[in-house]
Amino acid sequence: MEIELIEIRDFLSAHHPFNQLPEQAINQVPALLQVRYFRRGTTIPDSGSIDDFLYLVRSGAVEIHNTQDELLARLGEGDLFGYRASHMEGHAEFQGTAMEDSLVYLLPAAEVDRFCKEQPQFSYFFEPAGGGRLRDAISNTGEDGSSHLGLMTTQIGDMISRAPISMPPDASIQDTATVMSDERVSSILITEGERLVGIVTDRDLRRRVVAKGLDTSLPISHIMTADPHTLEANNYAFEAMLHMARDNFHHLPILRQGKVAGMLTATDFAERHTTSAVYLVSSVYKQHEVQGLASISSRIPQLLQNLAAADATANSIGHVITAVVDAITVRLLQLAEERFGPPPVPYAWIAAGSQARSEQTAKSDQDNCLVMDDAYDPKAHGEYFKALTGFVCDGLNACGYVYCPGEMMATTDKWRQPLAGWKRYFNHWIEQPEPKALMLTCVFFDLRCIHGEKNLFRQLREYLLAKTRGNQIFLAYMAGNALSFKPPLGFFRNFVLISGGEHDHTFDLKHNGIVPIVDLARVYALAAGSHAINTQDRLKEVASGGEVSHGGAHDLRDALEFVGSLRIRHQARQIKAGEAPNNYMSPDDLSHFERSHLKDAFSVVRTMQNVLSQRYLR
Amino acid sequence: MSIWKYLFNLEERRNWWTRKMPDGPLRDYYATPFPDREIDWRQADYLAIDFETTGLEASQDQILSVGYATVRGDRLVLGDATHILIRPTVDIPEASAVVHGILDDEAAEAQPLEEVLPVILNALKGKALLAHHAAIEYEFLNHACRNLYGYPFLCPVVDTLALEVRQFRMRDQAIRSGDLRLAKARARYGLPRYPAHNALTDALAAGELFLAQVAYRSSSKPPRLKDLIVVS
Repeated sequence: MEIELIEIRDFLSAHHPFNQLPEQAINQVPALLQVRYFRRGTTIPDSGSIDDFLYLVRSGAVEIHNTQDELLARLGEGDLFGYRASHMEGHAEFQGTAMEDSLVYLLPAAEVDRFCKEQPQFSYFFEPAGGGRLRDAISNTGEDGSSHLGLMTTQIGDMISRAPISMPPDASIQDTATVMSDERVSSILITEGERLVGIVTDRDLRRRVVAKGLDTSLPISHIMTADPHTLEANNYAFEAMLHMARDNFHHLPILRQGKVAGMLTATDFAERHTTSAVYLVSSVYKQHEVQGLASISSRIPQLLQNLAAADATANSIGHVITAVVDAITVRLLQLAEERFGPPPVPYAWIAAGSQARSEQTAKSDQDNCLVMDDAYDPKAHGEYFKALTGFVCDGLNACGYVYCPGEMMATTDKWRQPLAGWKRYFNHWIEQPEPKALMLTCVFFDLRCIHGEKNLFRQLREYLLAKTRGNQIFLAYMAGNALSFKPPLGFFRNFVLISGGEHDHTFDLKHNGIVPIVDLARVYALAAGSHAINTQDRLKEVASGGEVSHGGAHDLRDALEFVGSLRIRHQARQIKAGEAPNNYMSPDDLSHFERSHLKDAFSVVRTMQNVLSQRYLR
Repeated sequence: MSIWKYLFNLEERRNWWTRKMPDGPLRDYYATPFPDREIDWRQADYLAIDFETTGLEASQDQILSVGYATVRGDRLVLGDATHILIRPTVDIPEASAVVHGILDDEAAEAQPLEEVLPVILNALKGKALLAHHAAIEYEFLNHACRNLYGYPFLCPVVDTLALEVRQFRMRDQAIRSGDLRLAKARARYGLPRYPAHNALTDALAAGELFLAQVAYRSSSKPPRLKDLIVVS
């Protein structure tokens, strides 16, 4: 290669997928290129088939249309189209139009084939399925090799450091304590043969033996916690963390095919740098003042940053962050009940929206509502629940979960209703759907009981799912709603970017990327009558139900994880820089790799939106 | 220039010289016909070429480097893009070294002009010479050929600067100082900025500018080669 072609080589190596080529290979590329100039408004190609070349936009802008003249993509500097360029997947016939005067590099099809054959990293880019490439992208984001820290990918079995230490239930307290201290463990499993019957911790010895002056020759079964909560060794670490965080345990016996495999302790997480989540939650329950809770929630950004640094998936980070707000909510309700007395009638505190879906990030507002037993009498009980919900919503606001701008909160009279009232609402929404009302209320189709009488919630959920399942008219409205946020077709100058104001020259990861997927999954779940609330869970569950193809659901899950992890990383960066985290990302902050995979993610969403619209809106 | 060019066209003069000339690189060059003036411009080949020199006077200054690449119809092909340093017979004046960045040490490693000129002529065979302000390249080639072979250099010439002047005249626009410089002309067509004053980069830059200029011609019919070349 002539040294002067290095300028072109450097341009190539700044852009995906050429940057995947080893140096020796990329040095060959410039000499294979042809350079063409397309005046604004001209068609590309102007002769021959678009498959004769792979086109790389060097400068200018190109739009890609299919034969129905539907816009498929807007391309700018460094973008590819033509032969094998897969974001045109499923559109065998399409053509480009120069939207600005454009200088374009052409790589002959035969050369593309040759590079694909010789360079597997390069060929991934040209794989036919956007979803396939995306999966690759997700597994590629753990660049620093620290993915072993991933909570979602680590099985509990791999975290247990030693064989289980156990004692039979008839061993004396004294003997058990001796074994614990010899083995230097803070807890011990009580087993009968291979069956787990109980657990004893240092704390039990302190509280139930020493403090009470108990005879230490008594059998250990006397003071053990019987039938403790357990998890299977093939569960993921993050589930263990959630259990420990939610229920405030520090020791969790682990079984393998029903047999005792070992003990997982909070310390095992400490060694994996994710302590803060477990301890954050456990310290929530020690607080007696709203200020204390606020100081805990102020550490959530740090938690998010740690989890992002540990390469946790966006989905697991959502669960962990949500576990903290769940704990804060529960604690606020406990404090409210301490203050205002026990509830006069049973109630269920229900989270809606992102908290219900366990998809909160560093920046979320509160969406919640209250379902009360039908014995509720506004005259007798109204003041109590008004005070209770006021206390909790104010507390959440003080903790940074700001008041919902749409007033979708339990403090709003309309959203604090007995079960019968809620059934009436859902009956109305589902039987007589109105597009505008649905847009506002779709947040109530994602519900999760946080505290109180779970049965109230279950009844409501059964009621509404029975109504939505297979209800074509209602689903058509929901589908229409799900299509209201469309992912951008490409990053192109100001096209998808917000212009002016505080978020000038950015795009909105939430509304352009995440909301469309969440909306799709909600329609699938309601159509299938699925109980799942979390979007990943919904997609996983409906994949086998026929509402959506297996591949489609899989692709959407990957797309969600990819966009979600971009958002988490973006927010982690902002937190690190001392800025307030938000959902607005500048395209300049995207690596080329991210940029091209974000396009894949968007094309997956677009495809699935089209499928949905075909299904319900014809 | 002589009056001959007014009496005989380029092809006739090529034939004339071919018959007169002894064997050698220049005769080899003349053995291939020039591209036909009447053909659609897309059927012609062009050699986008640029020299870095010690100055602007072909009669006294020397070529320090040459860069070229072929424009085949409506596309610039990078496969034969070439850059060669040429060893000058005098020290490089400081004033020009500042511009092109070629220093004495580097130039000393380079090939003498008598080795490079046949390569250039070979690359030019059957093509039109394409350059920005092509008079410089043309005159330096002419001088080199006369000095080394004793015969003049002939070639159809496409000058992107002249094409640019035509554009200004057609639109009845005043030309201000600097408007015709390569970088400024490229910017008017939305072409990217390149670092200037490397012979090959400038040759590529001129080649791309040419493609843009032809794309911008207002007539609906594709121009013929004769519409684009300067009279020489």
